[in-house]
Amino acid sequence: MVSYVAEEGKLFCKFEPRLDTVHCLGFESEVLGRIKEFGGDVIFDLEKVNYVASAFLRICLRVCKETGTGRFSMVHVSPEVKKVFKIAGFDQELAIQ
Amino acid sequence: MNEKPAIPVNVDAIMRKASLAAAVFSQLSQEHTDRIVKAVYQAGFNHRVRLAKLAVEETGIGNWKDKVIKNVVATQLVYESIHGLKTVGIISEDDERGIVEIAQPLGPVLAVTPVTNPTSTVLFKILIALKTRNPIIVRPHSSAIRCSSEAARVCYEAALSEDAPEDCIQWLENTSRAETQALMQHKKLALILATGGGSLVNAAYSSGTPALGVGAGNVPVFIEQSADIPFAVDQILISKLFDNGTICASEQAIVVEQPIAEKTVSEFKRRGAYFLSDEEAGKIERIVYDSGKGVMSVAVIGKTAAEIAIMAGMDVPPGTRLLIASLRGVGKDYPISSEILAPILAFYIAEDFKHAVNLCIDLNFHGGIGHTASLFSNDEAKIKEFALVMNAGRVVVNMPASQGAVGGMYNTLHPSFTLGCGTGGKNITTDNITARHLLNIQRISRRRVNQRFERFNQELYFDESLDATAIEKEYNRNL
Repeated sequence: MVSYVAEEGKLFCKFEPRLDTVHCLGFESEVLGRIKEFGGDVIFDLEKVNYVASAFLRICLRVCKETGTGRFSMVHVSPEVKKVFKIAGFDQELAIQ
Repeated sequence: MNEKPAIPVNVDAIMRKASLAAAVFSQLSQEHTDRIVKAVYQAGFNHRVRLAKLAVEETGIGNWKDKVIKNVVATQLVYESIHGLKTVGIISEDDERGIVEIAQPLGPVLAVTPVTNPTSTVLFKILIALKTRNPIIVRPHSSAIRCSSEAARVCYEAALSEDAPEDCIQWLENTSRAETQALMQHKKLALILATGGGSLVNAAYSSGTPALGVGAGNVPVFIEQSADIPFAVDQILISKLFDNGTICASEQAIVVEQPIAEKTVSEFKRRGAYFLSDEEAGKIERIVYDSGKGVMSVAVIGKTAAEIAIMAGMDVPPGTRLLIASLRGVGKDYPISSEILAPILAFYIAEDFKHAVNLCIDLNFHGGIGHTASLFSNDEAKIKEFALVMNAGRVVVNMPASQGAVGGMYNTLHPSFTLGCGTGGKNITTDNITARHLLNIQRISRRRVNQRFERFNQELYFDESLDATAIEKEYNRNL
């Protein structure tokens, strides 16, 4: 469901296409645990993602809180998913590319 | 009235949840959206009797069987009217005009719901909101919190069973005025659907958030000379006695022409109507109208005719279903000429058609601008003549006014529990509010050049001596 690569002092987390509630519940503790253990900057790679549930949005908020301002961003976000973050009002808190 | 203290709510938290729900909802396909809507309709429908009984038990207004019918309209008929609508993505393509329409949701909607139709309005607003992928926050009337919240809960469980976004439905219990105000003004709120009294609708419109509200009704019903009188009286009773007269579109005053007055009175009496003497009308006036506030007394809303007679300290014959007061004028000196949501009607005898229509205009403008007017007639010319001068979003002909205005039962109006009254009622529309009002429509516009504009010598526009007629002649040359 989630793959992790540590590179140049950053933890890249790559996700599978559909991030619905069930899947998010499945990986939430693991993702948060890895991020806490890593302790550095975090990047979510959403290249393959085409759907995000509320549960994923809440995970992102928790990661943002855990890492601190400016140390969490998202890359390869599709326009559709970017719009979701905009509607949710997250673009103020997260760097989305 | 509910005396429980307000439970503090965190307005920002509510709106945060609603925003998340809106974000997730925006991704759903038409097929998924429609599965959610179907599940919610079925759940609401399946709980129609329990919710109806709960509404009457809590509010003390109306009767449970008619509230069941309201719940049926709010679920089954509303679902039938909206389920086939395209509300996601591309909804129309006009190649000739080069216009493609795309439906986008509005965002979080605040639904303010009334005490008169508590569960039906909740069910209705939830269905149209979910059909258009808008999360909804229900804010019930303070005297209908339990039944309204239960209706919302039933819908929410059904929605979640089809994987609807979390918090797509939220409901509030006993919010204070300040909290309601804060919600209405919140920057994340997209729309207020305000069904309730004047002050509440005003608050919605004043909030700065777009709002769809309603107005008060003071529905005149004109029984014109060509009408089938027994039929007309039957229909009026079907409407006015429905849920003890609590629908805002119910008839408030009967206007008949002199030649048919006696027969009309006789038909009403045969069906359980009691015509009040002047003295009795005075007794009734004192309890149905709050002269201090200039509106109907809350205590009589949804009570039966017999109950109201007891409250007024008067006797009526057994089996009395409707109280009728013959009046000579309209206005504040004639309190029964105002809206009273109970089985009470004013009665006017007009000299002729013109006088009758003038009386209807007086009634229409006495607290019911933009709402509904009713006519029984078999004369096409008179139907049109009447409709042209009424200021009413709905002019219902040869049908019960309550059910007619709500729509879907006796006509093809969209079934709705939010009836716009247009600018006269300080609303933005006269429509029966439905799902299509909860969409932002985007249009892709493709190049389709206006041939006449393109080939026209535009230098001619700068020649002041050429007037509109001269320009038109040149503009349309050789067509």
